[in-house]
Amino acid sequence: MQSHGRQVRHSSEFTRWCDDVADSASPARFARRSRLKAAVFGQDGDGVTDAFSSALVYTVIGKVLDVSPHVLVLETDTGEQRFPLAATAKAWRGGPVTPAALRQGDHAIVRRNRPGSPTVERIWAEIGRVTGTVIERNGPATLLVDEGPAKGRRIVIISASAAGRIEVRFPRLEPGYLIDVIGLRHDGFLEALIPATAQPPYRAGRPPTPPLVNGHVPDPLSGTAVWHEPGEEPVGMLGLAYPALDPETSCERVAPALATCDGDLHAVDPHAAGPGCVRLPYLSVGSLLQLQNDCSTRSRQLPVTGCGATARLFCDRCVSCGTSQRGRIADLTMAAFVELGGNLDEGCFNATMTIGG
Amino acid sequence: MLLGLRDLQVPLLAVLLLGGCATKGWRVVRTRSLASAMGPAGLFPWRLRRPIMIAMCVVEFGLGLALLATAGPALSGALATVIRASTALFFLIAVGILYEVRLHRPEAGCGCFGELSDTPVGVRAIARAGMLCIAVAGAIGAPPLRMPASSGQAAGLLGALAAELTLLAVVSPEIGSIMVRLGYSEPCELRRLPVLRTLASLRSSTQWRRYAGQLASFTPVDVWREGCWRFVVYPGLVAGRRVEVVYAVYLQARRPPIRVAVLEVASDGSLPPRPSSSSLESAAF
Repeated sequence: MQSHGRQVRHSSEFTRWCDDVADSASPARFARRSRLKAAVFGQDGDGVTDAFSSALVYTVIGKVLDVSPHVLVLETDTGEQRFPLAATAKAWRGGPVTPAALRQGDHAIVRRNRPGSPTVERIWAEIGRVTGTVIERNGPATLLVDEGPAKGRRIVIISASAAGRIEVRFPRLEPGYLIDVIGLRHDGFLEALIPATAQPPYRAGRPPTPPLVNGHVPDPLSGTAVWHEPGEEPVGMLGLAYPALDPETSCERVAPALATCDGDLHAVDPHAAGPGCVRLPYLSVGSLLQLQNDCSTRSRQLPVTGCGATARLFCDRCVSCGTSQRGRIADLTMAAFVELGGNLDEGCFNATMTIGG
Repeated sequence: MLLGLRDLQVPLLAVLLLGGCATKGWRVVRTRSLASAMGPAGLFPWRLRRPIMIAMCVVEFGLGLALLATAGPALSGALATVIRASTALFFLIAVGILYEVRLHRPEAGCGCFGELSDTPVGVRAIARAGMLCIAVAGAIGAPPLRMPASSGQAAGLLGALAAELTLLAVVSPEIGSIMVRLGYSEPCELRRLPVLRTLASLRSSTQWRRYAGQLASFTPVDVWREGCWRFVVYPGLVAGRRVEVVYAVYLQARRPPIRVAVLEVASDGSLPPRPSSSSLESAAF
């Protein structure tokens, strides 16, 4: 099984203006757009830059340097930080564990119980997620998954202990079908442990047509928010990959025209699969959204930082606190998901999105 | 009157069953995938889903035809009773299955009328199946269809039928989808409009001519879209100072509304932290 680098094709007519989503790590270019928009509509542009440069309030990301039943020491961007562990603190490392079970060197994402508080509420160590189309299967447990043209391909190995649980929710682990699993990150692969949703019954390239929208698209819009691994983005970036970037200027990345391996025959370009499961207004990298977690009622202004077209293929609903009204409307960065009160091991929360903030 | 209405249940249910079967078939043809019409079959193990879905369609089609065939005097009697009892049983099972779908797959639609039924199963869909079950159970033993004896009786029956159809519409989540399809015009937020068309509209506008003298280049430095507006940015010079001229063009094919702002740019290319009134000019047209 081999992994393939992603293929990029920019629209030749608009190369000069196109939103290279890989460039979204540099927020200045896109923050500028919100300032210009605010100016043209006569709005106060002071607040818009905050969304791009805002710091994490609840979330800390770092590498575990030391852990004991009472203290967690993390190496973060700002240096070494110590966090007292309350008895109620919960940790995840392949499953619920005591915080003391975390290992030195683990990549951890931590949520405080209050903004800026030293006390830790939740810790996730080495958590990862793969969302996309199965394009190759080797044996009963090894899959090559295409996460879409913007993210590339990942190897997933289904843990023997979780095989039953995953196969119940994903009965068709075959090329051409969708998969969304959460698990432990290892060097070069993800050990799948938790099914993040139930497998859609259709093939990845044939999602059902979403209901038509009468009048304007509702604003605010309610649906499902999921999360993705950082990839090329900075680990602590607050933002979201949006499923409906403007096709005229978003420089959609597409699969190669010619298949170079068997797996390419099953790879699906989500941009070519129609509008997907939810009709969303077209936006661009840099657009600002106000996103509220309907389960925790936390909300935050977030910029669109990438292309989340793969989310279009999933017509599932989140059932974390009631059934979400629509399918996937936002694919958040890990930091944004945790910051808004989402639990990474649950995979989604019901969200309400307001365009423009 | 009520007895007359009872007679009308048979053709009404036959039409609903055949309509359900036809919309499922249409969906399969359109998507070229049997899986898209699964609906409640998603409750079952994968290998059983396809046969269950096919069986459900066949039963719907068969019951629909059989109800029509036994509605008249030719095949009435015991056969009509068996067919109507089977239809009542079918809807009773549907109530149970829809309840299970709501419980175990709350995100799934009932799929009763193909792509019109993608809304997650709610109380309305279950109530409708229950209503239809009661309607067909009530028609067991009803005499063969016959013409009304008088115009007054016909008007009364039509009124009662209209009331029943209204009640069915109230408990049918598909009605919303149908109404949207009938009067559909794509919202501007979802409309795909080429950038070149936006630029052509912009360049034929008075706003363009008004600010064209301030532009240092007619090639935009940035173009992006947010919902119904596309933004186009040009570099400019005003009294020797670098500025950016931003046009917001509404995404409609003819005579789009256009707004414009001129912002001063700092020497390092960044925008000033807060544009002052002298450095910012904004105009709407």
